[in-house]
Amino acid sequence: MTAEEIISSGILELYCLGLASPAECLEVKGWAGQYPSVAGELNSIQLGLETYAQIQAVEPGQETKQKIFSQIIGSTQDITPSVSHELKSVQSSIVRPIRPIWQWAAAASVLLFLGSAAAGIFFYNKYSEANKDLTAARELLGQEANHNLDMKHDLDIVHDPYSMPVKLTGQPTMPEATAKIFWLQNTGDVMVDASSLPDVPEGKQYQFWAIVDGKPVDGGMIITNDKGIKFRMQKMKSFGKAQAFAISLEKAGGNPQPTAVVSVGKI
Amino acid sequence: MPDLRKYNEEELVLLLQRRDQQAFSYLYDNYAGALNGIIYRMVEDRELAEDILQEAFLKIWNNFASYDTAKGRLFTWMLNITRNLTIDTMRSKDYKKQDKISGDENSVSNYSGESAGADRFDGIGLRKQLTVLKPDLRKVVDLAYFKGYTQEEISGELAIPLGTVKTRMRTAILELRKILQSK
Repeated sequence: MTAEEIISSGILELYCLGLASPAECLEVKGWAGQYPSVAGELNSIQLGLETYAQIQAVEPGQETKQKIFSQIIGSTQDITPSVSHELKSVQSSIVRPIRPIWQWAAAASVLLFLGSAAAGIFFYNKYSEANKDLTAARELLGQEANHNLDMKHDLDIVHDPYSMPVKLTGQPTMPEATAKIFWLQNTGDVMVDASSLPDVPEGKQYQFWAIVDGKPVDGGMIITNDKGIKFRMQKMKSFGKAQAFAISLEKAGGNPQPTAVVSVGKI
Repeated sequence: MPDLRKYNEEELVLLLQRRDQQAFSYLYDNYAGALNGIIYRMVEDRELAEDILQEAFLKIWNNFASYDTAKGRLFTWMLNITRNLTIDTMRSKDYKKQDKISGDENSVSNYSGESAGADRFDGIGLRKQLTVLKPDLRKVVDLAYFKGYTQEEISGELAIPLGTVKTRMRTAILELRKILQSK
């Protein structure tokens, strides 16, 4: 509806006389905010009705004003109103019962608000939960991906055409100390699969050796366990030539010469 | 009227929001007659009318914080409070329903003759001019304004279709505004 149509419809007059339905009142209020001409017309109608009432005024008796003011002065003598006064004025303000439709509307809006708040909390919790789950799933996926990458890396070494496997067997002092070496002939890289080596006692470490021209050469320290995670394939020092590989049990950090060889594998 | 138009509506509202009793006294002096006239025409009992007026003004004072200038003129707001109180009183059990049919038009026009607040707006002159307004137009306004009739009740009383009430109300108030502006 255009402002012109609203003004000429007569609804504004009904609104000003209190004859419009609650729904119509809402509409009129909306239009008044939207169209300045509607707001202006509303004011003119109200002013017209006001004048109409004024010219037909019936002056009340003097005592009526006195009665009103005696009650007002009584109620405002206390500058900071007491709680009981506040309550009294609140109670006295509830004189006209709210129309049922507004009661329902108010109740419905409160319910709607509570409902939406509850839904908000519910969905927020769901969302947080889902977010947590997602983070956990991502972490797990990341771990799995890393694990897979490790496996693939290990497998690549095994499948490498230049990779030469050498089996190291446990010596009488430690027969269970078996391990596998993959020696990459093209690069000289040495990978050791230490997963089958028994855990070392505290303060000890496995040391890797290559026997080159009859002499043991240090190949680096083998880590079998780091914070509960078993190390699988690990890269040792590279060797261009070697006749055998060996693992010895040494003090942590290693020794320049092997003191207790536990596993040997000849090429 | 000693301090007629001492305050404009904006100042009056501001002072009343600060619970200024002087302003409330001004408000009473300027609007009590108009509101009482409306109550009187509805209940047709002078004593009862003034009781309701008293209640209405106390309510206006106590609930002034709830008046919002954006929602309409101050008088309209006061009128709504007053009308609602009057309608509630008329609907209550102890109110003896007056005979609406008997001289309902006469009582209204007769009473306006003895109005004490008439001098404010050259009431006599304007009231004379009201006779220019066609009776069926004036009646539609008066039934709503001074009798608190609903649209349905007006439609029944004047034997006109419900839809016509709206358009006739528009025409009537437009005419009324024209008459009252030419003061």
